[in-house]
Amino acid sequence: MSQAETKKTTWGPREEHTLINHHLRRLDAPEKVTGRAKYTHDVHLPGMLYGRVLTSPHASAKVTNLDTSAAEAMPGVKAVVKLYSDEKGLKYEGDPVAAVAATSPELADDALRAIKVTYEKLPHVVTPKDALRKDAPEVYKGGGKGNLRQSGSRGDLDEIKGIMAKCDVRVEGEYSTPIMHHVCLETHGVVVDYRGGDTATVWASTQGTHSVPEDAQKALGLKNRNAVTVLVDYMGGGFGSKFGLMLPGEIACKLSLIAKAPIKMMFTRHDEFVAAGNRSGCSVKLKLGANKDGKLVAMQSEVVRLGGLEQGAFAGLPYVYNVENVYSTAAALHTHQDGSVAMRAPGHVQASFVMEAAVDEMAAKLNIDPLEFRKMNLKDTAYHRQLDKGAEVIGWNRRPKKAGETPLVGAFKSCKRGMGCAVGTWGGGGYASCVVDTFIHSDGSIATQVGTQDLGTGTRTYIAAILAEEFGLPMSAVEVRIGSSKYGMSVPSGGSTTTASLAPAVKESTTLAKRLFFEKVAPMLGVKPENLTAKGGKIFVQGQPDKSLTWKQACKVLGRDNIAAQGKWNAELQGDGLHGVHFAEVEVDTETGAVQVIKMVGVQDCGLPLNRTAVESQMNGAMIQAIGYALLETNIPDPVTGNMVNANMDDYKVPQAFEIPEMIPVIDDGDTRNVVIGMAEPAIIPGAGAIANAVFNATGVRIKSLPITPDKILRGLERLKRS
Amino acid sequence: MSKESTRDPAPKRGVSRRQFFKGVGVVGAGTALVPESSEAASGGAAFKPGKHSITLKVNGHAVALEVEPRTSLLYALRDHANPPLTGTKLVCDQGACGACTVHVDGKSAYSCNLLAMDMVGKEITTVEGLAGADGKLHPLQEAFIAKDALMCGFCTPGFLMAISAQLKKNPNATVEELKHACAGNVCRCGTYPHIFEAMVETVKKMKGGA
Repeated sequence: MSQAETKKTTWGPREEHTLINHHLRRLDAPEKVTGRAKYTHDVHLPGMLYGRVLTSPHASAKVTNLDTSAAEAMPGVKAVVKLYSDEKGLKYEGDPVAAVAATSPELADDALRAIKVTYEKLPHVVTPKDALRKDAPEVYKGGGKGNLRQSGSRGDLDEIKGIMAKCDVRVEGEYSTPIMHHVCLETHGVVVDYRGGDTATVWASTQGTHSVPEDAQKALGLKNRNAVTVLVDYMGGGFGSKFGLMLPGEIACKLSLIAKAPIKMMFTRHDEFVAAGNRSGCSVKLKLGANKDGKLVAMQSEVVRLGGLEQGAFAGLPYVYNVENVYSTAAALHTHQDGSVAMRAPGHVQASFVMEAAVDEMAAKLNIDPLEFRKMNLKDTAYHRQLDKGAEVIGWNRRPKKAGETPLVGAFKSCKRGMGCAVGTWGGGGYASCVVDTFIHSDGSIATQVGTQDLGTGTRTYIAAILAEEFGLPMSAVEVRIGSSKYGMSVPSGGSTTTASLAPAVKESTTLAKRLFFEKVAPMLGVKPENLTAKGGKIFVQGQPDKSLTWKQACKVLGRDNIAAQGKWNAELQGDGLHGVHFAEVEVDTETGAVQVIKMVGVQDCGLPLNRTAVESQMNGAMIQAIGYALLETNIPDPVTGNMVNANMDDYKVPQAFEIPEMIPVIDDGDTRNVVIGMAEPAIIPGAGAIANAVFNATGVRIKSLPITPDKILRGLERLKRS
Repeated sequence: MSKESTRDPAPKRGVSRRQFFKGVGVVGAGTALVPESSEAASGGAAFKPGKHSITLKVNGHAVALEVEPRTSLLYALRDHANPPLTGTKLVCDQGACGACTVHVDGKSAYSCNLLAMDMVGKEITTVEGLAGADGKLHPLQEAFIAKDALMCGFCTPGFLMAISAQLKKNPNATVEELKHACAGNVCRCGTYPHIFEAMVETVKKMKGGA
């Protein structure tokens, strides 16, 4: 019974699944609707202290005096740390200056207020315009000049200029996307339980259970990663921003080394806006050339990424479309703002919006249906299939054939309706890392465990589905243990790689467990293991349903022994390469400039869907975040003070009940690859482009900078009227 | 909700504004927004900065607490109650997201915008008390599970409390009314379409007398 004898594992024929690829209920929903689900933010330990961080109110400054004595003297304040150094300086609003730990949250706030800081303000730049000024202060000294860094190019400019000049039609524009915030409802944070000694426990709001132990061990000066147990039972949203110990965790470890007591350190909402990372913005100059027959021929682009102190992200142009002749440059423009981090499909959302706006404009100029024009320039037939499907579902033929030429509708006959579409791509493949264990005991208990995490993505549920389906049991009969670094290794949930990395290892583990189990049970029924089947809560001999044991009876065979089966990644059970399209229908009020998305359709492939309900929920959620990106959300920096003026949830508006259109998520079942692929990130990519293109279709106004706010619409309409 | 007392600028019984500032000193000056707000504590007895013993009625149980005049109901529930009631979530701390929604005397309210000491004598219900005493889930909780109206789940308690308060007022509420009831709530995962489906399902069930 060596593992080497294992037959090749597959997901099996689609029509034979009883749980996978069905609509499944989320396993942890009962915990979440009753308030029993304990997030890091909810952890309470005896003697626990509350941590708070004092952050810089200035975008660029030096600290000339930092006096924490009054805070230290306050009863109930157990630890104070200074986090400022002259070498580091203060480079963004939100840069940590000091931190405290106290016996109540109120007291911790008081202690922060008791810290006296004298700042020497330094010149700052927080807008692209200021950062590009000739006399702009340099964000980084050395390693280059000015604030434009990391520049590179590809292609031959002269050659492309020549080809561009010969094109029948050209479009040209300047596009921009804003710095956006993740707005995770559970802020970044940890509870560090270290009271001296050799070990520690850390509850972390993280996307990587196993991404934290090493960081925490180093921060606490412990022996190795095994000295730290990291727990992530539930976490309240990450969207790309939560990996490793992170700033609040680092600070909490420092405080706990002093206080020798558990520290809860959750960012405040303001901290979260100014110091927890963001999605980088961009500004792009783009020129596209095409032939009369509708073929894209040449592209010239100049991309500037806006990642604050970081590099930012931008996927290569031309995004998805086939353009043979390309010249492009890219660079990062630095400002004194919190650095960008990954956010749901980093680089792709930005590139898709820019490319799709230009492609759409080209189609309009050539007087070709934008959907047909896309098909003419997209090689991959998956897009053709998805575009046709999306068009059918939204009713593409209802759209105004000429932009803006549509009857006025609405209570005041002031609104125009239109439709747009866009496409996106993503990898979503996995890699070797996960170690999954399945255990069966003679009492009938069966459990699969692995140190992964469930971000709301439904990981817990699909592990249970794979396990239960393997053994023909209801999902309620199996147990799933996740969210502890004491369980087997698992990948951090980034880049939509979890499903393709984890699910194959789960499948290998459950397949092996079943084989080992059947070897034990077969003699009881007087047959060979390969003649057994597990179905409907029974183990029976194939073709002889009367020759069977109930699950409980079969497990008794184990006696004092048990089954333990470990599974690792199998590349053949997972795939890579995703396609998705979005269609949006909008209503634009020509009097107020307000845009309302009234219908949105997404079509997304993902190979073999593990839980159709969870995939649909992901698609809805992604489209809704795309609505926020398209219409509402932007970091607003004040060039004078250097502060973010909307660093709170009143002024930074995200989609709520009345921004939600009719939504139709369509899983692309035309994708027959029998492998699993992660799909959470690609599902957001085309949204903003589709909405912007719908706005054009409704009004004739092409908005090239996100978010599409009413002022931009009204100005556009005014320009249109004058021309 | 009884917000009148927090809005009344005139000193009532208890410490005067001047006394309050004196008592708080430099360190606590930032808390000066909450003086003379709550005579409700201890039946109108004088209160000073610092800790006060109060008893709140939460989910039908008396909960003894030590809170400061500035302590919000949200912090009282999550950080000062023993055992803590952490189903109610802290997200924006300024009444902009609805995650901390509870029922006060049957009506929905943002617990981050209420002072704990003003809540003496009121019936507070949190998500932990939404199910029946026998553990039977509220039809809305059932519908949230059935319709996958949650993902990370951090906003879920707030949505449940906001929508269930409206259902209490009007069991035949339309989806539009129920959307209004949770218009102040934020779900960042974007589960709204399924929340709307759960609303429809719940009203259907409640009409059926389930």
